[in-house]
Amino acid sequence: MAPATQYELSPPPGDAVSSIAFAPDSGTKLLVSSWDNKVYHYDITNGPEASSLVNTYEHRAPVLDVCFGADDNEAFTAGMDWTVNRLNLETGELTPLSKHTAPVRRVVYSKSHGILVSASWDSTLNLHNLNDPSSTPITIALPGKPQALAGSPSKIVVAMTGRIINIYDVDSIAELFRTGGTELKPWQQRESSLRYLTRSVSCMPNDAGYATSSIEGRVAVEWFEDTAESQARKYAFKCHRQAAPDGDGDIVYPVNALAFHSVHGTFASGGGDGTVALWDAEAKRRLKQYQKFPNNVAALAFSNDGKYLAVGVCPGFETGQNDYSGAGQTSVFIRELGENEAKGKGTK
Amino acid sequence: MGKKKRGHPDVEEILSRPWCYYCERDFEDLKLLISHQKAKHFKCDRCGRRLNTAGGLSVHLNQVHKETLSQVENALPNRQGLEVEIFGMEGIPQEVLEQHRNRIIQNFYQAQEDRRIATGNPPPGQSKNPRKKIKIETAEELLKRFAEYRAQRKAVLASGGSMDGVVQTGTAFPQQTFNQPGFPGQQPHGQAAYGFSADSLPARPSSGLVGAPGLPQRPTQAGFWGSSAQATASGDEIDQLIRMAEAGVKPQKRPEEGEEAGDGKGKKDKDKKGRMVYDDAEFSPEEKMAALPRYAYIPPVGT
Repeated sequence: MAPATQYELSPPPGDAVSSIAFAPDSGTKLLVSSWDNKVYHYDITNGPEASSLVNTYEHRAPVLDVCFGADDNEAFTAGMDWTVNRLNLETGELTPLSKHTAPVRRVVYSKSHGILVSASWDSTLNLHNLNDPSSTPITIALPGKPQALAGSPSKIVVAMTGRIINIYDVDSIAELFRTGGTELKPWQQRESSLRYLTRSVSCMPNDAGYATSSIEGRVAVEWFEDTAESQARKYAFKCHRQAAPDGDGDIVYPVNALAFHSVHGTFASGGGDGTVALWDAEAKRRLKQYQKFPNNVAALAFSNDGKYLAVGVCPGFETGQNDYSGAGQTSVFIRELGENEAKGKGTK
Repeated sequence: MGKKKRGHPDVEEILSRPWCYYCERDFEDLKLLISHQKAKHFKCDRCGRRLNTAGGLSVHLNQVHKETLSQVENALPNRQGLEVEIFGMEGIPQEVLEQHRNRIIQNFYQAQEDRRIATGNPPPGQSKNPRKKIKIETAEELLKRFAEYRAQRKAVLASGGSMDGVVQTGTAFPQQTFNQPGFPGQQPHGQAAYGFSADSLPARPSSGLVGAPGLPQRPTQAGFWGSSAQATASGDEIDQLIRMAEAGVKPQKRPEEGEEAGDGKGKKDKDKKGRMVYDDAEFSPEEKMAALPRYAYIPPVGT
């Protein structure tokens, strides 16, 4: 078996991590967005010994999300400065694509249709038609403030406050661009299976469903298909909790990040307890729980070939905190996965 | 019990089988058990090396991979600890040995009875529920049990719960039925996210009587088998854990934490006790961070 290793990227981001994204083609290229106004571009080809930082891209304000575009040299960022940017990784050129009226929380790119969706705390989505750069983005009002956003080949899932989940059909967004309309109805609107504020959403790579996580140590798995059988399959479970040191109940941590493994269809969850667990959504089993990271796990990403797991670690924001800094305590770990490390047990 | 035929081994035979401390599985001989432990519980997930003990694995992980072993893999939730040094049958704590013995004995007679019911020919002189007759209570015991029952009834009524379950079981220790730990992750849930409102008690988790659904829940067999009630109760818990494991469901954490499928009342209590590190229903941690001067962005006028 390949010697699986884990190491820390050097140098680490200068402040808390908001998101991590791996490139669509190369399995070793990744971007990390940070609260220190920068996006970090790492290449991990040379392993733990070499410095892996390729470049940094300075923004005007903290960067809340980053995703790759059509190829390994195009990325999109969402920022506190209300702006959605296109980032050319080769030249470092930053082009504003659209502007919201509040910080932009998440961006997601749909490769099949060349669509970029951004979600902002102003309770809107901006839909960008990248096939037609001259077109103006379409703004869609949401029934709530978006907290998490994820895309699958055919769907876009938006989780909002008030436990609302809207699922949009990517085809109908493409249709909207064609017809020039401005009204987009969600393909489905659902109530979250989780009682508390949604923290993260991630879609299954096989386009069958998605997982959501909440601030209250819980993860739910649901399927898109709207049949009684499929809907009966959905479930939720507790995780990322620790027995309180005084023995009185549990300390419940938020589940900050979810990421599906593109090859095996299993998923990882990362929580405020500083742990990352691997789950088999189909078999409803926990495959693995990794040793504790030194701090809250804020972001997770698998490489597209499924060989690496990147874990963004920084202090977690807790209730009532009125000062916060991730400076000096932030790191990004790369875990090289064993061949079957993320494989479901049922298929063995 | 002169019935040992048709491939049902007698109780002594079963008791003499070596078994695994971590997962309660039993094996034909010690060699098989040891190879099972090496493959399932002491195998290094980084390089596949099979160690002899959990301690050995811990040292290996530490020295070779610079990692720390936090728990024994594939173990029942209450057996994941690294404190006990197990090799084959060596090192199993005395009370666990006793628990296991009680469980085996209990399961053995249970299976025997289930078979009897299934075949439909109960041995002469035995009614459907022999335990009831056999159990003889002294006046004090009876009073004590009555007091417990009243206290419990009060508790249930106070929480607005229905008495259905308690009345129906009608056995000496109805709370046993309810206190079996449920597990997260296995109960499909409908639109009502958790369904733990106190006045709709969720369906009871199925009890140990797999083969005989019609049979009333048995009272604890403490008196009958001469074991302590404590051991029997924890035996039940282990049974439950094993059944879960067999059904392919892995409990997420220790059983005390997984009340989801169990008793509505218990669930509520648990929730109260869980202390959330972050609990704002409207604003995400990022929004709070965004409001801090450190990260604030003031849009330039005119853009």
